[in-house]
Amino acid sequence: MSDKNMKFLVVDDFSTMRRIVRNLLKELGFSNVDEAEDGVVALHKLKNGQFDFVVTDWNMPNMSGIELLKAIRGDASLKHLPVMMITAEAKKENIIEAATAGASGYIVKPFTAATLDEKLNKIFQNMNK
Amino acid sequence: MSNATLESGDSDELEALFDSIVQANQGSAAPAAAQPVAEAIAPAVAAMAAGETGIAISADDLPEPASSMFSKIGHLTRKLHDTLRELGYDKSLEEAAAAIPDARERLAYISTLMEQAAERALNAVDAAMPLQDKLQSNTEELANRWQQLFDKKLTVDEFKTLVTDTRSYFGTVQGASKDTSAQLLEIMMAQDFQDLTGQVIKKIVTMAKDMEGHLLSFLVEFASPGKRVESNSLMNGPVISAEGRSDVVTSQEQVDDLLESLGF
Repeated sequence: MSDKNMKFLVVDDFSTMRRIVRNLLKELGFSNVDEAEDGVVALHKLKNGQFDFVVTDWNMPNMSGIELLKAIRGDASLKHLPVMMITAEAKKENIIEAATAGASGYIVKPFTAATLDEKLNKIFQNMNK
Repeated sequence: MSNATLESGDSDELEALFDSIVQANQGSAAPAAAQPVAEAIAPAVAAMAAGETGIAISADDLPEPASSMFSKIGHLTRKLHDTLRELGYDKSLEEAAAAIPDARERLAYISTLMEQAAERALNAVDAAMPLQDKLQSNTEELANRWQQLFDKKLTVDEFKTLVTDTRSYFGTVQGASKDTSAQLLEIMMAQDFQDLTGQVIKKIVTMAKDMEGHLLSFLVEFASPGKRVESNSLMNGPVISAEGRSDVVTSQEQVDDLLESLGF
């Protein structure tokens, strides 16, 4: 099973969405959660704190989720981090782009708590392999 | 000097000299300068009065390429202006332009109301959640102790405490249920924005429809037929209408299937 103390970073430009994801994670037993409002802030936090998991939106000002994902995968000290995208972007191109850029999971909004749980567990399973 | 002599009127000779100078000036200098201008302007004024283009006529004096360019622009401008007026577009375009700032304000208003509502609902959830968690853990604890009683593992004293604890627990449940109900009501009331934003959105939809109609007929009238360019961005936001589109997914299952087909 997954470590309930693992530290999450939730990246979304809407504070309500960040709160919802934070609450859902808490519901699933993960209460060690920090937030960032765009990719720039997220990258800064990731480089300065010990995070174990990134949940990010796609469409954000300053630095988008896909740019953040590419930056994480391109950084030797961060590239191992699981990155899950939770986004309203639903074009097949988006999903392919995210997958090839190294996303660990892709959830389209609106989503349910059950979906989040399922995708997280799938990622944890892959991590333990 | 001449003013003084005229006013005093003491010298007919000087007055006659003055008159002759004035007359000479009017006769030679003034007509020479003023008349060509008036002659040049006259046809243009007449043309403009008749509703034709004034630019084409006065452009005759210009070198050939510039002259024909001016003439063309003049004709086009006039044609555009007349057509707009004939079709009533000048009014409708004016209205459309004026409607945009209004729509922007309305949308900002909707955004604010929705944000407030979301905050309000989330605050209520944050307040209600701990109450429920407390009830859950209290119930679990009491249930365990009652189970022990039925398993005959409790002493008489322990049983007495259990009964007292259970009794006070009823009070806790009552209070927590009341507080949770209040938070549920708060969540319900937070949805009142929908009534207000719904009305505002309807107005904007009507406005957008009108504007689209005006612009479309305007384009049909003037634009050369060209291909509509599909935007190919990866930042489109939510799909509003997926009907008839094969480039988007409409459910999480489709996302999973696509990822699986790619080997993820």
